[in-house]
Amino acid sequence: MSRALVPSETLANALGANELARELEARGYEVVRSGGFGLAWLEPMLVIDGQAYGPVRDLDALEEVALGPVDEIPAIARQRRIVFDRCGRGDPMDYDPAWLLDQLQRSPREIIAEIRASGLRGRGGAGFPAHIKWQTVHDTPAPRKYIVVNADEGDSGTFADRLIMEGDPFRLIEGMLLAGHATGADKGIVYLRSEYPLAAQIFAQAIAKARELGLLENFVMELFIGAGAYICGEETSLLESLEGKRGEVRTKPPVPAVAGLFRQPTLVHNVISLCSVPGILKMSGAAYAEIGVGLSTGSMTFQLAGNIQRGGLYELPFGLSIRELVEDWGGGTRSGRPFGAVQVGGPLGAYLFEEDLDTPLTYEATAQLGAGIGHGGLVVFDDTMDRMQQAHFAFAFCAHESCGKCTPCRIGAVRGKETVEALAAGEYTEDKIAVITELCDVMEEASLCQMGGMTPIPVRSALGIGK
Amino acid sequence: MRLDDPDYGTPASRSEERVSLAIDGASIEVPAGTSILRAAIEAGIPVPKLCASDNLDAFGSCRLCLVEIEGRRGVHASCTEPVRDGMRVRTQNEKIARLRRGVMELYISDHPLDCLTCSANGDCELQDMAGAVGLREVRYGEGENHLGAAIDDSNPYFSFDPGKCIVCSRCVRACSEVQGTHALTIDGRGFDSSVKTGAADFFGSECVSCGACVQACPTATLMEKSVIEEGVPDRSVRTTCAYCGVGCSFRAELKGDQVVRMVPDKLGKANHGHSCVKGRFAWGYANHPERVVKPLLRDRISDPWREVSWKEAITEAAARLKSVQAEHGLHSIGAVTSARCTNEEIFTVQKMVRTAFGSNNVDTCARVCHSPTGYGLKQTYGTSAGTQHFDSVMRADAILVIGANPTDGHPVFASQLKRRLRQGARLIVMDPRRIDLVRSPHIEAESHLPLLPGTNVPMMNAFAHVVATEGYVDEAFVAERCDRESFAAWREFAAQPENSPEAVAEVTGVPAADIRGAARLYASVKNAAIYYGLGVTEHSQGSTMVMAMANLAMATGNIGREGVGVSPLRGQNNVQGSCDMGSFPHELSGYQQIIEAGVREKYERAWQVKLLPEPGMRIPNMLDAARGGSFKGIFIQGEDLAQSDPNTQGVEAALGNMDCVIVQDLFLNETAKFAHIFLPGTSFLEKDGTFTNAERRINRVRQVMRPKSGKSEWEAVQELSAALGYPMNYQCAADIMAEVAALTPDFAGVSFDKLDRLGSVQWPCNDGAPEGTPIMHEAQFVRGKGRFMLTGYQPTDERTSRKFPLLLTTGRILHQYNVGTQTRRTRNLEWLAEDQLEIHPSDAELRGVRTGDRVSITSRMGEIVLKATVTTRVAPGVVYTTFHHPATGTNVVTTDLSDWATNCPEYKVTAVEIRPANHLSDWQREFQQRDARQRELQPAEPAAT
Amino acid sequence: MGNDSAIHELVSACVGQTGAPITALRKIMAAHGHITDGHVGIVADVFNLSRADVRGIISFYSDFSTTPRGRRHIRICQAEACQAAGCRGLTREVSEALGLGLGETSEDLAVSLEGVYCLGLCASGPSAMVNERIIAHATCEDLLP
Ligand SMILES: Cc1cc2nc3c(=O)[nH]c(=O)nc-3n(C[C@H](O)[C@H](O)[C@H](O)COP(=O)(O)O)c2cc1C
Ligand code: SF4
Ligand code: FES
Repeated sequence: MSRALVPSETLANALGANELARELEARGYEVVRSGGFGLAWLEPMLVIDGQAYGPVRDLDALEEVALGPVDEIPAIARQRRIVFDRCGRGDPMDYDPAWLLDQLQRSPREIIAEIRASGLRGRGGAGFPAHIKWQTVHDTPAPRKYIVVNADEGDSGTFADRLIMEGDPFRLIEGMLLAGHATGADKGIVYLRSEYPLAAQIFAQAIAKARELGLLENFVMELFIGAGAYICGEETSLLESLEGKRGEVRTKPPVPAVAGLFRQPTLVHNVISLCSVPGILKMSGAAYAEIGVGLSTGSMTFQLAGNIQRGGLYELPFGLSIRELVEDWGGGTRSGRPFGAVQVGGPLGAYLFEEDLDTPLTYEATAQLGAGIGHGGLVVFDDTMDRMQQAHFAFAFCAHESCGKCTPCRIGAVRGKETVEALAAGEYTEDKIAVITELCDVMEEASLCQMGGMTPIPVRSALGIGK
Repeated sequence: MRLDDPDYGTPASRSEERVSLAIDGASIEVPAGTSILRAAIEAGIPVPKLCASDNLDAFGSCRLCLVEIEGRRGVHASCTEPVRDGMRVRTQNEKIARLRRGVMELYISDHPLDCLTCSANGDCELQDMAGAVGLREVRYGEGENHLGAAIDDSNPYFSFDPGKCIVCSRCVRACSEVQGTHALTIDGRGFDSSVKTGAADFFGSECVSCGACVQACPTATLMEKSVIEEGVPDRSVRTTCAYCGVGCSFRAELKGDQVVRMVPDKLGKANHGHSCVKGRFAWGYANHPERVVKPLLRDRISDPWREVSWKEAITEAAARLKSVQAEHGLHSIGAVTSARCTNEEIFTVQKMVRTAFGSNNVDTCARVCHSPTGYGLKQTYGTSAGTQHFDSVMRADAILVIGANPTDGHPVFASQLKRRLRQGARLIVMDPRRIDLVRSPHIEAESHLPLLPGTNVPMMNAFAHVVATEGYVDEAFVAERCDRESFAAWREFAAQPENSPEAVAEVTGVPAADIRGAARLYASVKNAAIYYGLGVTEHSQGSTMVMAMANLAMATGNIGREGVGVSPLRGQNNVQGSCDMGSFPHELSGYQQIIEAGVREKYERAWQVKLLPEPGMRIPNMLDAARGGSFKGIFIQGEDLAQSDPNTQGVEAALGNMDCVIVQDLFLNETAKFAHIFLPGTSFLEKDGTFTNAERRINRVRQVMRPKSGKSEWEAVQELSAALGYPMNYQCAADIMAEVAALTPDFAGVSFDKLDRLGSVQWPCNDGAPEGTPIMHEAQFVRGKGRFMLTGYQPTDERTSRKFPLLLTTGRILHQYNVGTQTRRTRNLEWLAEDQLEIHPSDAELRGVRTGDRVSITSRMGEIVLKATVTTRVAPGVVYTTFHHPATGTNVVTTDLSDWATNCPEYKVTAVEIRPANHLSDWQREFQQRDARQRELQPAEPAAT
Repeated sequence: MGNDSAIHELVSACVGQTGAPITALRKIMAAHGHITDGHVGIVADVFNLSRADVRGIISFYSDFSTTPRGRRHIRICQAEACQAAGCRGLTREVSEALGLGLGETSEDLAVSLEGVYCLGLCASGPSAMVNERIIAHATCEDLLP
């Protein structure tokens, strides 16, 4: 009997994977619902006895979309899949805990040393060295410590957290348990956005399975579903929300690693950061540090989105250029019109244009442009993009999602939006540009968190206002 | 022209460790944990701020306090940034100035530009800060704004104009952090963020109108209506609130001679800048048109009143008192002092009785509330006062609240207690009712023991049993500090099986396991503190219960340091003082016994009179004797016996039987209906003197306005005394305190000068403790060794029966105060226009009673009718009401049983029956008639201001 | 409110969980479609919060609503990746067809139209959701009733 891997992943499902699975079953296939490979333009992509097909619209016309052996698809084979190595290759609940149990025998100090050696930086946006947080949580005495996983993935153009939680939830469970063991935390909570119901369902199932496997005897694992607030991706806002409150940003100090959830030391990490940990321990921190360039070590789960031919997730070593990613991997715009701009790093990221495309994708190089890699999302626009409209949106988004605690963001975003409107309507251009420039300075410097603090990045870059 | 004290932005750090840093080049040393903002302001370096206030945790939202820190990128909010050793900070430069202006420009872009006509003009932090950062123009065009938001005027005392709000959250944080009510929130997010209550408006919400939000607001958003109407005040006088025993310090703010608002004083050591609705807002009675400001005279109580001069009133009063004495003997007259008057006023009255009257027939209204406290604590510890200062609660790990309802009765202390609970202290509530402390937002008692009224003593004995039999005795403390023999007897007594939780479960109505659990909790933590109220004292076994609590605290070593103790929550502002000032018949000031020859000699020398050695009559004795015909004249200052004392009909009969009733008060109160001479009194705003609060803290009361009557009480009494043949010659209130200090060891170090210098002191204040004594019994008990007293349970004679199956207990609510003389003459009335009866749903159903129905309450003493509220706050078998309105006549039904040791009446236990009723009771009808009749007898022109 | 006791049970079941008040409100939304004053009281009571606290929470999160939403709840992603893929045009079309702006509900409670910021299908936009169903490469026909 033929074995068919049918992705069970939100995008594939939206494009018909569920129906395909039913039909394959009816036709007598052994159907396994697997994770997705993340190649959006090929979804739904089936793997039948090792042979890949996609995008599949009609089971009777499979050969028209034959892709050959799955491991030979260049868009998979040429990746450096460390986080996503298992994803897509079988039933996510099919999990053998032997390796994990073995790793949990290692001493916390050893594990933290590996993390330090790996040079891993947070994948949630800020790119902060992971080991410093681990060490701090480990070293801060407290009655209780927590691991909090940031699965709020609010940035437009990103879906890596969703893909891994839907396709390989045990990778995250491994990361959480290893982090708990290393820091001394005995409770871990995943803060998942409500827009990801399938991820919630699969992850809940994985927790139950982990319990069955005896992995949760000394560790409490909870899944919390958010309620629709971009700002709750900001770690302190997330912690407030996890305490059942309004997600208003907290001031720092103290940092969460010292006083986080319920004022206890808390390791807050993005999903992909924690999911990078097993790979690091498998290959050793030193070996991981060899991948990538400079202080941008290891692999990054880049996500190509927007107006793009071959959108999807590509896990690659840091260091390739934006052009390589957009043109070689992505195949240019989907509309077929000339490239216009790419926004790198989510709604708070910079719009980059033709002249910036040769910048290497590293923390260091993007910082030079006043941009950032963020969560690794790149949103491509064709030449119809209206820069004024995007600057307006940047302010509007901030106005919509600002927690409202601090003045520069709460009022500034609205005034920014209104000023761009006036600008677009052709009013006193020079004055308005001056006002926006100063407003951007105030928001950047004086905001309490990076929501207000980074909104000037897309605004300035879209309007071509230098800093 | 700011009237308030400087605000340091963030709370002071308590750290011992010191840190040095440089701010704008100046070297500064502050405790670790201090914010940069506070360090700067303390050093005299101004840093602009709007969301920071030193009674709130740092919040970091306004972004005006930005500074640069050497070696770190960008700018940092100085309110949320703690100082570090060696830090170098810049608070001013071109960039910082530009950013601050930019932030201010944003604020003003959503704020009305009507400063000159705004009610806060000149008293607005936003205005000040706009000036400080040098904002000159707002370049944003017209855009989205909140200017049209509707004003909420529903609260009687303050208005909320959201169009002026800058969303700094200070009000929201004050409501949560300071007051602990959590009635406010920010609603929405981003630009839509706005301050809201949980209801449609303030009045309909959880808001208790404490005023903390108004105080916190930096703009005119939350503003006293009195300021809107009368304008921003221009001077202020520090004084002390005259409501409850917390004794909050206030700044009375005036414009010209007119009081515009009362603002809680940050420097007040009892309240640290907080207040409740009564002290903050309900002071308008002082200017109420019903105030009587001229002396009145009449021959019979059926005669109309006649306005007379002070001279005539005093002469006539002296003549009548003398003639009563001539006819009926030395002991046929007496006086009652009031816990609402100043120490100086009280001292003068008792002195007049002991000198000019020539007897010891003086008693105080503390008789009816806290006399058992004095007795019980004196017997066990050696001093008639609570052991702690309020701040001590911040160190308690477990708090046992017995027979008190602090959130209503002592709201400002309750806020502090709740703050401690939110920090993690554990709470036990022992009370028949489910008071708010049992469970309200963000706090919850670990244990509530809803015992039947009248069963405090067996309950406390069961606590003792658990302590004595489960190894919770602090043996070291007891061995070192307590009297060995009495302890041995107590231990044996406590261990008796009839005191076990199992044995008392039935009589108290509380399961044994709950009692054991609560006792263990109290006994097992490091610091356990007891706070109690009239639910302890106003029982036939009130004194026993006070001693039982004192025993428990001693046995567990919970005495003599912060976080522990036995603390009475005194009802009225100066209950402590009225006891301290020698107005009990058997005691001179400072609890010096009249029967002791040495004590008498001291006073005799000072006063140049002979004192009688035997104690005089207590209030109930006077009333008994009056009914019997041998007591014929009384001087009552500031106290409404006819409403507040139990068995109203009995009191009325006694008053009606006297020949010369002299009342000194603000209003023609219920007692004045039986009076022959009325002397106008002064409100606290007109007084000069001192009040002593529940923590023995002597606070200054300062004259804010001239006495409307033209005379202070002590002046009037001094004149009356002179007319009776004993002149006193005080020139001012300070002279009186000087005499108290000279005669009273515990007050030897007290003087107005010192009070003005230190703000307040807690007695004992003498050479041993020149700055006062926050905590008593630290090294040893005042009486030497702590003495355990046996506390056998004698059930009250008041029992339920088939005819009277329910137990009535009484109390008060937040917005009204005692008999309501003051609060009923303010807009506080809007919160409770009449007294209501609380009854449990099962008892209500059995009797066909629904919320809002009128019901009659009958006891063995009488009947009254009022409105019912069906609620599970009371347990089945228990009903509850308040006594704020004279027309209710709550004390018509209470009995004349009283504490065996002190005669404190048993207000808290009355067997009653409840029935639906659609009539007024006989007494209430009579009351209405008498009230109407007496109104007609008032001087034609209401003696208005 | 006939089902208040059911709601009470639903809410009480969340006690002890991290972030429970928010979870409870989410469950009320799922069970009842919107949050009533009565529900606010229940949540306040169960978690020992003030009503003001609960109001503050509800109004912070976009998922919560105190007014009923349409039986067909259409949400169209408005975020950048979908903008690049044409969500502005799609939204205009749908909005005109329904006669509803973003954030509006038809009077008969049949349809409501709302914006949402990212559904995680950013490589295949414009994305949308109709009730629980998630749609990639959404067109006007996919969304209209
Ligand atoms: C406005 C804002 C939104 C954010 N959203 C997310 C998010 O959705 N997911 C995430 O992992 N981090 C997000 N972050 C970053 C987090 O604050 C935090 O840096 C991260 O969770 C730390 O984890 P890491 O060290 O693993 O990256 C956001 C930050 C800001 C300022
Ligand atoms: S910058 Fe915006 S989101 Fe961040 S704290 Fe300020 S108001 Fe909240
Ligand atoms: S931006 Fe629309 S789905 Fe991500």
